[in-house]
Amino acid sequence: MDSKKIEELLNKYWNCETSLEEEQQLREYFKGSDIPQEFKGAANLFQYFNTHKKKTLNDVSFDDEVLEKVRHVPKGRISTLVYNAMRIAAGLAVLVVAAYFVRNEVRKSTPQEIVDTYDDPKLAFEETKKALKMISRGFGTAEEKARKINLFNEAKEEIQKGEKENNNL
Amino acid sequence: MNLEAFESQVLPVKNKLFRFALKFLGNEEEAKDVVQEVFIRVWKGREQMDQIQNWEAWCMRITRNLSLDRLRTLTRKPTQNIEETFDIRQESFTPHESTEMDESMNRITEFINALPEKQKQVIHLRDVEGYSYNEICEILELDMNQVKVNLFRARNAVREKLMKINAYGL
Repeated sequence: MDSKKIEELLNKYWNCETSLEEEQQLREYFKGSDIPQEFKGAANLFQYFNTHKKKTLNDVSFDDEVLEKVRHVPKGRISTLVYNAMRIAAGLAVLVVAAYFVRNEVRKSTPQEIVDTYDDPKLAFEETKKALKMISRGFGTAEEKARKINLFNEAKEEIQKGEKENNNL
Repeated sequence: MNLEAFESQVLPVKNKLFRFALKFLGNEEEAKDVVQEVFIRVWKGREQMDQIQNWEAWCMRITRNLSLDRLRTLTRKPTQNIEETFDIRQESFTPHESTEMDESMNRITEFINALPEKQKQVIHLRDVEGYSYNEICEILELDMNQVKVNLFRARNAVREKLMKINAYGL
């Protein structure tokens, strides 16, 4: 490319009138050697652009790291909903299982006497009657004993009365 | 988009995204983290990709936004280590030419880094990455006029400084 053409392109370049293709032509031109002194400044600038373009992300494991991370990203909105629903379901399942075990434990530690033992209400009624009768018998026996104590008290009062009469005489 | 398509079509733009993130952050590790985050976002939003006309520009826009977010959260200033990591030596240059080239590169790096943020981004997208004006509008969320004005100012600011060096041999 002759220097006149380059000068013309450079003028367009400084005025921001060059197309991408023309800028590419300039880039290619300034990659070469034997650049006239008059274009030295522009040559340095294009050299700077070319050098900058060579800068790369110098990490061989970068792609693998990104792909690994991307694989663990939940899919779309629907998948996110399903994923959240599954999390809630899992939480509920844990609660239900825990409640079942706690209930079993409580049952084991509760005394057998206070646990319902009769399924048939009639049978339960009969057993209750029996139990009440037993209590009633107990009260009956206690009453007899109390009567004996009363007799003793009456006798004691009679004796005291007799003693008083004797003193008066 | 399935994983194979993602790997073969989207992942290869990583270097462009990396260079762009590096422009903002000036730190390779931070830029790499941003690019990784961009890809995860792209994957999450892949259902929208069919409706996006230019997904590469979309990726670049996400890179810009995430880089700016990260810049805000970083308390330290970005480290200017870009120029240190370039290997500009070419076999065709003599040691003297290489040293001269190193100096020129450092100066141009200084000139470009001194540009206002928008101008820096526009000149990078046009002159390093070769994006069209429409794509730059999309990436930077600017209108065509703003893009052209910023590019014009950036190129001419650098030109003036280059002319001064060449005139006075500074």
